[in-house]
Amino acid sequence: MSLTFLVPLFLAGIAGIVVPIIVHLTRRQRRNVVHFPSLMFLEKIPYQEQRRRRIQHWMLLSMRALALILVAAAFARPFFDRSDVAGAAGGGPREVVVLVDQSYSMEIGDQLDRARVEAQQIFDGLGPLDRASLVTFARGAHVLARSTSDRVRLRGALDTLTLSSGATRYGPALKVAQTILEESTLPSGEVYLMSDFQRNAWSGDEGVRLPPGSRVVPVALSEEEPELDNVMVTDVSLPRQIVSGRERVTPTARVVRRGGTESRDVTVRLEIDGQEIQSLTVELEPRSAAAVEFQPFTLSQPHTTGTVRLPPDALTADNTHHFVLSPGTSLDVLVAESAGAPSDVSLYLRGALQITDDGRFDVRTRRASTIRPVDLDGVDAVFLNDVAIDGGSAERIRSFVEGGGGVLIALGQSGGWPASAADMLPGRIGSIEDRTEGRGGRLGYLDYEHPVFEVFAGPRSGDFTGARFYRARGLELSDSAGVLARFDDGSVALAEVRIGRGRVLVWTTSLDAFWNDLSLQPVYLPFVHRLAEYLGGRAEPVPWFVTGQVVDLADPDALETAGLVSSEAAGLAEGLDQVALDPRGGSTSLPAGSGPRYLPLDEHGFYTIRQPGSDPDRPFVMAVNVDLEESDLSRIDPDELALQVEMPSVAGEGPSLGGEAVALRREDQERRQAIWRWLLGVALGLFVLETVVSNWVSRRRAGAPGAARG
Amino acid sequence: MSTLRPRHAAAGTRFLDPAVLGRIGNLELLARTVVDGFLTGLHRSPYLGFSMDFAEHRPYNPGDDIRRIDWRLYARTDRHYIKLFEADTNANFSVLLDLSASMSYGSHSLAKLDYARYLAACLAYFSNKQRDRVGLVTFDHEIVDYVPPSMKHLDTILHTLDRAKAGRPGSLEAPLLKITEMLARKGILVLISDFYEEPDRVLNAVAPLRARGHDVIVFHVMDPYELEFPFEEASGFEDLETGEQIPVIPSKLRGDYLAMVRAHLADLERRFTDNRIDYTLLDTSKPLDEALFRYLLSREKLGKVR
Repeated sequence: MSLTFLVPLFLAGIAGIVVPIIVHLTRRQRRNVVHFPSLMFLEKIPYQEQRRRRIQHWMLLSMRALALILVAAAFARPFFDRSDVAGAAGGGPREVVVLVDQSYSMEIGDQLDRARVEAQQIFDGLGPLDRASLVTFARGAHVLARSTSDRVRLRGALDTLTLSSGATRYGPALKVAQTILEESTLPSGEVYLMSDFQRNAWSGDEGVRLPPGSRVVPVALSEEEPELDNVMVTDVSLPRQIVSGRERVTPTARVVRRGGTESRDVTVRLEIDGQEIQSLTVELEPRSAAAVEFQPFTLSQPHTTGTVRLPPDALTADNTHHFVLSPGTSLDVLVAESAGAPSDVSLYLRGALQITDDGRFDVRTRRASTIRPVDLDGVDAVFLNDVAIDGGSAERIRSFVEGGGGVLIALGQSGGWPASAADMLPGRIGSIEDRTEGRGGRLGYLDYEHPVFEVFAGPRSGDFTGARFYRARGLELSDSAGVLARFDDGSVALAEVRIGRGRVLVWTTSLDAFWNDLSLQPVYLPFVHRLAEYLGGRAEPVPWFVTGQVVDLADPDALETAGLVSSEAAGLAEGLDQVALDPRGGSTSLPAGSGPRYLPLDEHGFYTIRQPGSDPDRPFVMAVNVDLEESDLSRIDPDELALQVEMPSVAGEGPSLGGEAVALRREDQERRQAIWRWLLGVALGLFVLETVVSNWVSRRRAGAPGAARG
Repeated sequence: MSTLRPRHAAAGTRFLDPAVLGRIGNLELLARTVVDGFLTGLHRSPYLGFSMDFAEHRPYNPGDDIRRIDWRLYARTDRHYIKLFEADTNANFSVLLDLSASMSYGSHSLAKLDYARYLAACLAYFSNKQRDRVGLVTFDHEIVDYVPPSMKHLDTILHTLDRAKAGRPGSLEAPLLKITEMLARKGILVLISDFYEEPDRVLNAVAPLRARGHDVIVFHVMDPYELEFPFEEASGFEDLETGEQIPVIPSKLRGDYLAMVRAHLADLERRFTDNRIDYTLLDTSKPLDEALFRYLLSREKLGKVR
């Protein structure tokens, strides 16, 4: 161990000590001049030249010189080289990354406390040249301390470790560790993965590969897979009914019990707007499930919060299930049909729109080829069912669509569209194609990504293949048109074009039973409902979100999906700042701007969105529930996980203990010892002391004879 | 580092303390204060009335000093008469004041020139009170101001003294020679200077005055620091007249300096005395009464000689 300097060039600054010597001598000469009546006698006395060059205040000079030497030495960054000591210890410096699982399953037992202890032990065991990072993770990963040798900082980061409401995902955390190790210049890396190692958290195709020379050390915080008697609420269905003009909701909670050895009673409580309104007890067998149906309650207020709550157990996060409901609003639908058409031309269509539990459609019918402005007042969607309207009506329809309305044009025998407004259609209407011979046509293609058909995407969610189509009008698509459905011969069945804020759909066959038998199929009713809702721009509100999802609060559609009834009522006018209060009481500022306002939903509970400083009666609330995958505590073999992400070392690959590493060690040693701070501190003290002493000397000199006139 | 402090004036000479006088701005007031106070203190002095001559007789009134009765006249007339005396107003009194730059030096609140101005003012006032004709000549290396002797010139003298400033190099020979030519009538000359010249040159300058028959009284004004050299700090010493500067370590030079100064003073005193010139060394830290005493003593001696 020897004293050496990181930047020895600065030692040249020691030559600067001649400056105080020169100042010391010249200043004395300059300052002390005594005016004397005559030098007649003094000039006769011989004197020696060296007298004026004599230094009287050696202490001052020494302090100045020493201070300068210390400053120069500090800039040269001295340190005691312990490279030999470190080399003897073996292994070389390490880049250590500690990944701590903070998913809500970590609340079982004392796993989080154990994680703190284990991490602290790892940090305490760091060598003088090692660096460490602390990363917490659940669905995402957060770096609390990145590649530092400052143990105080690491300890401080460890103290901030808390549980989250997220589910475990190893992929993001290991990706972060991979990045830290790849950026590190230290020769070896270690990743300590502290978790309860749930199988759901790792799929194996995350694409994580740690750099060669690094290894994963799994730290299982529980010895074995815990045998928990865990009861959870997995789902709540919220069917609505209109009873006596009022909307009533009948919540039904699905309660699942995992584990356990014998049956037991579980009390399930329903809270509405924070008040418990019902409590039911259900007997649950081990590893069983039950549906708990509560009594209906009247839904009269927007943004009504509800919670289904179970008694606390070992895993409490899945014992509650939150939701938000608002009273539904009906959609005004105008069905226009030709004046001379048969009376039952819209029989199936009107019937389908009127058959709802919650009365969500308010249907009006007009039998005329003219659409008056009053007909469109308050209307959300228009069905032009086999009617040929005039040019003026088409222009009124255009204004209606541009303002956000939706129109479906069903082309039957009498249907038509004025040529003056042909640009409103997704294509040019052609002649009637007759497929009455044989078994007729079928729908061969449906765009299940489209909102109209997405509810039919799942298996047994609606079968369109049973419908037969015997006649249809040809449609020559324009460039801006989109096709939602085609017949099996490739011709267009349903096409769409957007105009302004609204949309125009063309159904090339009839909506009744004249040209097809779709209206006789079970899928007809939901199909018409979806068409009406899509035309009316109505989005299905989501009663709750799952932790990890992100909502763009600047997007009106997203807000409507989240259950926002009225922006004005909730005080969320556009262009104003917003603030989101999370379930833990923290607030997130969402300033107004032209871009999106993303709000990550990381905690389970209720998020309240409002304007800063406002206190609306019924603020906009979003419910967030935990991801129930985390409740499945089945484990993965930690070693298997480690093997999947480690890359075996190959000769010649990866960083080595070369010159760069040695240089780094010198810098690390210097930074760790930080002798320069002490030197600068002492130099500063010397400068202060020198100032005090020199002032004292000056004062004495000022009091001496001759100085008053000097 | 110790400092040698000048000795202060003795108690009881408050009105003559140079430091106190320095705070009196008006020279006439200052002179009156000094002289009147001085004379009051000396009212029983044997020197009083040295310049009085008989003027006339007047009848004795009760309360008159019986010592002043003319007994000879009483013997002749059998009446009491008092002898009245008249002051001798014929003497010319001139102050020759050195205004060289070295006179501006002062280690305390009073510079040498201030001290000299006070002294000159007091002497002029005093002489004027004795009905002498008073005059003033100020000089450095040449004549600066000349106020001819006159009974009515006291105010002019005091005004000239008041605005006298030292600042230029000085020498004695040329201006004193010119003064010798200017002052044709014999009189009393008071020369006030610090005499920073070699004694030979000083005598060469002053002797012609004496040779012309003037009664010369010399006051050598010195600051206590010039006499004691109490400096401690090694410094550069700058000549007030030439601006020349030399490095000096006082502790090393003090002994030599004091010896040379003492030798210089002794030499001056000896040469002046040899030439019948009354010489007085004045320390500016000491009261003015010493100078006034010396002056009166000199006048008395002059009177006796005459």
